[in-house]
Amino acid sequence: MKTPAMMKLVGLAAALLCGAAAAQAAQPLRLCADPANLPFSSNAPEAVGQGAPGLYVEIGQAVAEALGRPMETVWSLSYFGKRNIRTTLLAGQCDLAVGLPAVSDFMGPRVIFSRPILKLGYALVVPKGRAVTGIDDLKGQRVAVQFASPPQSLLATRSDITAVTTLDPEEAMRRLAAGEVDAAFIWSPSAGYINHTALHDKFAVTPVDAPQMQWQAAIGFSSKQPGLRDEVDAALPRLDPTIRQLSAKYAVAMGPSLTYTDAGPVQVAVAEAASAPAHGAEAKGDALLGKEIFNGTCAHCHGPDGVVQDRKIDLRRLEHKYADQMDEVFLTTVTNGRPAKGMPTWKDVFKQQDFINILAYLKTIQDK
Amino acid sequence: MIKRQAGWPRCVAAVALAAGTLGGAARADDGLAKDDPNAWPMYSRGYDNTRYSPLKQINPGNVGNLKLAFSFQLGSLRSNEASPIVIGDTMYVSTSWGPKYVYALDARTGARKWTYEPEIPDDTLQYACCDVNSRGVTFADGKIFVGRLDGKLSAVDAATGKELWTTTVVDYKQGSVITSPPLVVKNMVITGFGGGEYGARGSLQAYDVNTGKQVWKTWTVPAPGEANADSWKGDSWQHGGAVLWLVGSYDPKTNTVLWGTSNPGPWNSGVRSTGDGNYGKLSNLYSSSTVAFDADTGKIKWWVQGTPADAWDYDGVNELVLADLSISGQKTPVYMKADRNGFFYVVNRESGKIVSAEKYVPTTWASKIDVATGKPTEDADKRPGPNHPIKGACPNLIGGKNWQPMSFNPDTGLVYIPTNNVCMDWSVSEVNYRKGVFYLGGDFPPHPGPGGYMGEMMAWDPVAQKKVWSVTTDLPFNGGTLTTGGGLTFWGDLHGMFHAYDAKNGKELWKTGLGSGIGAGPISYSVDGKQYVAIVVGRTASIPAFLGDVGKKMTEATPEGGALFVFSE
Repeated sequence: MKTPAMMKLVGLAAALLCGAAAAQAAQPLRLCADPANLPFSSNAPEAVGQGAPGLYVEIGQAVAEALGRPMETVWSLSYFGKRNIRTTLLAGQCDLAVGLPAVSDFMGPRVIFSRPILKLGYALVVPKGRAVTGIDDLKGQRVAVQFASPPQSLLATRSDITAVTTLDPEEAMRRLAAGEVDAAFIWSPSAGYINHTALHDKFAVTPVDAPQMQWQAAIGFSSKQPGLRDEVDAALPRLDPTIRQLSAKYAVAMGPSLTYTDAGPVQVAVAEAASAPAHGAEAKGDALLGKEIFNGTCAHCHGPDGVVQDRKIDLRRLEHKYADQMDEVFLTTVTNGRPAKGMPTWKDVFKQQDFINILAYLKTIQDK
Repeated sequence: MIKRQAGWPRCVAAVALAAGTLGGAARADDGLAKDDPNAWPMYSRGYDNTRYSPLKQINPGNVGNLKLAFSFQLGSLRSNEASPIVIGDTMYVSTSWGPKYVYALDARTGARKWTYEPEIPDDTLQYACCDVNSRGVTFADGKIFVGRLDGKLSAVDAATGKELWTTTVVDYKQGSVITSPPLVVKNMVITGFGGGEYGARGSLQAYDVNTGKQVWKTWTVPAPGEANADSWKGDSWQHGGAVLWLVGSYDPKTNTVLWGTSNPGPWNSGVRSTGDGNYGKLSNLYSSSTVAFDADTGKIKWWVQGTPADAWDYDGVNELVLADLSISGQKTPVYMKADRNGFFYVVNRESGKIVSAEKYVPTTWASKIDVATGKPTEDADKRPGPNHPIKGACPNLIGGKNWQPMSFNPDTGLVYIPTNNVCMDWSVSEVNYRKGVFYLGGDFPPHPGPGGYMGEMMAWDPVAQKKVWSVTTDLPFNGGTLTTGGGLTFWGDLHGMFHAYDAKNGKELWKTGLGSGIGAGPISYSVDGKQYVAIVVGRTASIPAFLGDVGKKMTEATPEGGALFVFSE
């Protein structure tokens, strides 16, 4: 069987960062990355030669260094993202993939996540010096959007803004620079990178805060690698400054966001569909959905379906232990974590509704 | 797994007896004898796509004795969907992955005459939405024509396998791949391409058989200023889909090429239409349609749109089967189409007027089709859209029938359709990503339709619009069919079983296990007075990935495969 084109390259980290003793002991940490996806990753000689192989590659190197392991990069094209994850990360071809959307329904329980490391999303791009305080400022203008993206869906609901559809952020920025459009509403990291590397920072790139416009991105692992995930999670707090520096290096916008939810009649059509409680009432939670999240994420410590030997982490005993304070204890714990006991905080990974769903599930498995 | 279903009355009513095929073995002017009953000269045997072989040597009396004549390993695994073609004593068959190989074989023994291995780049898989398949090649004028995953079209010397010319039809790096054999009409080789979901704008293109130079190109999404451009919102026409990724038909009498078009893009119908059932003019022409083109100029003569402003992924690509049926005592030239949208269309192929359109599988999104206007009467609760997740839309996105070819037998007057009985819920929620860009994807969990089975091979009376007999199976997306003058219908399933039925009543007369799921349609031919039946096996891989737990069952049913099996008495 032929597999996707895949080349292996021993990363710089292996040569530069590991002492001989460590190298003997440590298995390489294998990073999955796209060879042509700047600002995130590239194996093009010019990118590597200029010391800019991409944000995700450099984050991978920092993680490998923190773990005392050499890094190896497994290159595979990711035009269809999920399919690529299936045939690389989930097929055991590599150990981690940087920059996956840290949401419980991304690929189900097969993919588990580190704590979030970056906020990624869509941004408004306009010439510097032009004030844009909300979507209404785009009235009567031509705005480049990407095909099949949330901004395209959003602008489809506005008859007073002319959407100009492009296939990728490069085309959108090209048309913006050529004056064919007045603004672009596109993928923020690409916009920032193109603006910085090709357009002399002529434009202001402002992330737009709205439902389904911004996501937490994390490092993804196969669910068969919970140990590695925990190691990486333990190392991440120390890497925060590095990740911030790297984001700045690749011009990934981190500044204040534009909020437009209060800008009048604008609503994100698709986002509403997404946040509508499709499977159950909001207040009582959907135990089935909760079970899915639980088994995808919580189960690696608390056991599949909550079945675990260690009584201290046996969540089937919650009601027994906390009685009518169970809900409160649960929500406090998942929100704030119990770092001393190894329970991370999950408030940046899951939505409130996810917690309510997990709680609904836990109530179905309490010891009687 | 497979059980008979007591369907409609067994006896075929004495309707449709005037039914006959036209141009059974018609093909381009290639110097070979017309209507050679022994040959299988193109994908579905003739320009009419009937997949009817007049051969009678193998019949209900002796089909039980079928034995393997030879098998041939294709050297390429997964999603082998090709129909071989047979000219004289030579068989030509293509494999998956590009195609990775095209082989010329002695049709009696399987001895290999030559192998053509096109230079296919390594990165095609990531651009092929729905697998790395090749449904076969086309013969004309001493040449074999090959549509390729990398968006190219090649001509190969049929005698030597030497490449004669290669031309680029479409940029595959925008998700547009060629997976179906082209149609050769006169001096033109005509092809479309795939990629409806990924930003393509559909077109049908004709190339000179000798030089590979383009003769004409017709967009299937009109630009501003052209007729029906007002059926698109904003600039959505630029990436409107309506691609032609399956096979076409040709009616020599009217010099008309008939071809089905895919769904429009993007999936969010609010971007290109109103986002609900009140689409008015915004019906997204000519997506999800049957389009009639003038063969010489490519000019669009007329169209029939099955699913206006599609929101379910109901491609209209399914093949048009041409026949002359007796409608109210009148011999009527029609095309028949088992549309993905669950309706079986019988349409006058000279006027484009709908004769009838009835549900052939459980269908909930619309109650009926108005034959005068072609407009479906939709159930508003079953149309997904922005702010409008739905439950229980049938068929699901793979359709009542997918690409797997049906066949028409003029002796029984029946169409043998490989159908799917799957429904879906639909919400726009799941986060997806492509090259680092996150966006919202559709979430469309499938579930079995009424009755619990998911696949059904049915014999359909196209005049009465009624099921005559059928067999059901647990899995959807089974193989295509072949029907013969000997009174047989052949069909393979996803469990890798290859069956022969009495075409009149559905009695199973023979079966054999071939080891990998079957998607392709069988063919039949005769060399040196001996009739053969051939089938390619090698189960699908990409489609199950869209189907959750159902997909898991589809891939677990058999291993991957890639082989040709040929049977004879």
